[in-house]
Amino acid sequence: MSGESPEGRAYVGNINVSARRARKLLLGDLKLGKLVDWGTAFSLWPVHLTTSCCGCEFAAAWSPRFDNEQHGALPWIGPRQTNMIIIEGTVSKKMACALRLVWEQMPQPKFAIAMGACALDGGIFYNSYNIVRPWQVVPVDVYIPGCPPRPESVARAIIELQRKMRKKQIASKFVEEGWRPDKEYVMPKEDLCSWWRG
Amino acid sequence: MEPQEVVDLVRRVLGDMVRDVKIWKGNDYIEVEIDASSIREAAARMKEAGFDHVKDVTAVDYMKEGRFRIIYNLSSYNNFDLSYYIVGLAYDIPRDKPETVSLADIYTSAEFQEREVYEGFGIIFKGHPDLKPLLLSPPVAEQKPLRKDFIVREEPEIKVEKKR
Repeated sequence: MSGESPEGRAYVGNINVSARRARKLLLGDLKLGKLVDWGTAFSLWPVHLTTSCCGCEFAAAWSPRFDNEQHGALPWIGPRQTNMIIIEGTVSKKMACALRLVWEQMPQPKFAIAMGACALDGGIFYNSYNIVRPWQVVPVDVYIPGCPPRPESVARAIIELQRKMRKKQIASKFVEEGWRPDKEYVMPKEDLCSWWRG
Repeated sequence: MEPQEVVDLVRRVLGDMVRDVKIWKGNDYIEVEIDASSIREAAARMKEAGFDHVKDVTAVDYMKEGRFRIIYNLSSYNNFDLSYYIVGLAYDIPRDKPETVSLADIYTSAEFQEREVYEGFGIIFKGHPDLKPLLLSPPVAEQKPLRKDFIVREEPEIKVEKKR
């Protein structure tokens, strides 16, 4: 510590020095968009929409052993307070309606992770008459293979999504342009909610 | 209770409605074949004899023989001796006219399972209080996916639009 001033370090609460450093950081080296990307990457809120058996692994991923909250993501209750959806496993045709309704309610910018072999390409239900592929319903950012994937894979997918967000500057470009330029809008080909009468 | 005693009980209860009784391998499943016309009478008598709930309602499609076989799997909660056994109450209906009567007012637990048979096979249960598809959506249920002539393609064609 000799010859080096402890002022401005985190453990010395000198607010004037810290404010000067922060101003220099924000206005000089960093652009504000990077801050938006950084902030969005560590405030991911997955919505609870358990479609299939991968939901057990999803639950284990936030349990104390594989604590995914340390990566900056925590499952939240309502779709209107969340910005990420993890599609856990098979999506049947009736569930696809619910998936799309939840997706439409989530605020922008929003991200989707498809989890498990069924969410990739049907898995063991690949020729079933009653499933849809999730990429036909919502635009998927990250895929997790496995049947079912381990909770570590979920953590890896979240870290991968954060890396992608900060590298491609998804959130800040959304703030600038109002839509996500890196992802095409997905419109389901068939009428998913035709069975549902108000 | 031995399986043969259950067979005797069923024969005594149902009388001359019984066409055929078969004890399946494993000695815990007994299939009782009866006439299609006497199913409601048979179900009411079986309920009085101690078989108090329906575990399962299912159907088998014999396409070449031109018939559906509808099977009600009955068992008991309250009678300890009977609770080890499952008695399958089976009857045949013609395949080109898939209509039969509902047992939902006798056995309450048959109500949802008759709806599943309805959506899978297109068999209409007359007298059912709320006959509509249970798990499938109506466009899928119209295809009658559990019938033998429903073609399941091995590799469904998926069109992926290439990105520019």
